Amino acid sequence: MSFPIGPAHSVSRGAGALIAAAACLLLALPGGAGAQEPPRRILSLNLCADQLLLALLPPERIVSLTWLSRSEGDPDLVPLARRIAANHGTAEEVLAAQPDLVIAGTYTTSATRRLLARTATPLLELPAVQDWAGIRRVTRQVARAVGAEARGAALLSQMDATLAALARTRPADPVRVISWGGGGSDVPGRDTLFDQILTAAGGENLGAPLAGRASVDLEQLLQARPEVLMRGSAYAAMPAVRNQAAAHRLIQRLYPQAQLTYPEALYGCGVPKAAQAALALRAQLLAARAARGPR
Amino acid sequence: MRGQRRAPLLGLLLAALAALFVLSLLSGRVWLSAAQVWDALRSPSDQLPSLIVRELRLPRAVLACLVGATLGLAGAVLQGLTRNPLAEPGLLGVSSGAALGAVLAIYTGLATALPLATPVLGLLGAFAAALLTLTLGRGGGVLVLILAGAAVSGLMLAGTALALNLAPNPYAAYEISMWLLGSLADKSWDHVLLAAPFIVAGLLLLASTGRALDALGLGEVQAESLGIDLARVRAVVLVGTALSVGAATSVTGAIGFIGLLAPHLVRPFVGHEPRQVLLPAALAGALLLLAADIGTRLLPFEQELKLGVLTGLTGTPFFLWLVLRLRRVAP
Repeated sequence: MSFPIGPAHSVSRGAGALIAAAACLLLALPGGAGAQEPPRRILSLNLCADQLLLALLPPERIVSLTWLSRSEGDPDLVPLARRIAANHGTAEEVLAAQPDLVIAGTYTTSATRRLLARTATPLLELPAVQDWAGIRRVTRQVARAVGAEARGAALLSQMDATLAALARTRPADPVRVISWGGGGSDVPGRDTLFDQILTAAGGENLGAPLAGRASVDLEQLLQARPEVLMRGSAYAAMPAVRNQAAAHRLIQRLYPQAQLTYPEALYGCGVPKAAQAALALRAQLLAARAARGPR
Repeated sequence: MRGQRRAPLLGLLLAALAALFVLSLLSGRVWLSAAQVWDALRSPSDQLPSLIVRELRLPRAVLACLVGATLGLAGAVLQGLTRNPLAEPGLLGVSSGAALGAVLAIYTGLATALPLATPVLGLLGAFAAALLTLTLGRGGGVLVLILAGAAVSGLMLAGTALALNLAPNPYAAYEISMWLLGSLADKSWDHVLLAAPFIVAGLLLLASTGRALDALGLGEVQAESLGIDLARVRAVVLVGTALSVGAATSVTGAIGFIGLLAPHLVRPFVGHEPRQVLLPAALAGALLLLAADIGTRLLPFEQELKLGVLTGLTGTPFFLWLVLRLRRVAP
């Protein structure tokens, strides 16, 4: 077996755990890591962390990204992600890569967590984001951890400028939208980033009152009277039962030109680029409304 | 005498079916009044009630009747052919074979390219499973047939699991475990048009076996001496079941227990001659599935209940009762 970390590490197992705990503490404290050399080799175990790292760092500082980024990431970043090594989130891959910093989601397994503690690798847990304030918080947190504060601040000020421009030109009559992936799938409710992006783009999330229910059927969809249907892009190209439900002949007849797909990595992850997604969505919503004509 | 008892039963079943059909058009997550439903049925428009009734609830009710009748009739014919009260499409592996075919069609993307692929692969799967069960179980009596059915069911389920394992879509396993429980939600006329020709052809084939099944009731040797070509009857039942159950399963998922339940429900009223059971069993099957489908919509759960859950929950106690009764009747 060719584990790069060998007996040398296991001797100082206890010390390693201590160092890891200290490193985590340092990362969590505001400004705490600033004095140290920023990590050079960063590994991501989370699709959303992938998107943030690609936005913040030059590719050579990223050891590997999740394999998901090669197909399900922000479409604009997929070519870049394909040039960087991919991991499948296994412990062996993490050990072999010898990263200085690992960024993971909140749900990373405790096994990985223990392993990272044993090899004294700092771990940053990326919290889930539900609004613009959350995007600012998490972007600053990650930017600080990887030593890219200036880049992070620039991205955030760009985001705020885009949001301000969107707010100035908001249509008086919001476009009625429901996001629906086909039979039995969830609709995003009020406390989601999707809702925030849609609102900023000038849409009204008709799914919000229905989102408490676990599933929305076609009757409810029709009753909500949406102007535009939206649909997450994740795996949309791969054959699935839900695609068939979304292809119901009624949907095809009533919404021939009013079905939009959105990249889920941009709408669910909480990256500064979400503002640009809202900007693009504004244009799509208004175009769909125009194509639909007055009703 | 039996004919006299059968006529009122048929009338009763038809009346109940009509009543449930109307109830089915009235029930759903969006409340529509009887007057709205009536208006929607008479004049098509792009208003909400009309769209819901004509494009969502009507095809759903029609599909429930077709699929229910399929399961009921196939159950009655298989019970007659095997002379076993436990026979039904699910027990002989036909449903799981159909499900495997449909899953293959859906997750290879064949269904997207060619809508007909799902029912066709579904009935090919059903055909393969039925053929395998009947071949493995031939000549060994009823017990061997049932065991062969269980083995084929297991094989088909393993094939389905393998197909899901290899599916590129990571949601496949979740989706299909839901799909396999059976549902009529959000079905359109497209589904009806896809499945109906196969279902109707299969039903006609199955219904044509009545006289042979009556003769078989006397025993295989006696039936042959009466001029029944047993190999031919088996083939007709096989093709009929595969056509109807295969097409039905590929559209709605595998729905258990109705094929078992329906013949037993009507037998006390029409007697035990298989031919007398066929038509009432088909009607009872349609009735049961329509009722179950209304139940999935009316029971106040947040998630819409799956048909298989409801038929399983109501079917299992009946199954137990059947076992206990059989033990009493046949010491």
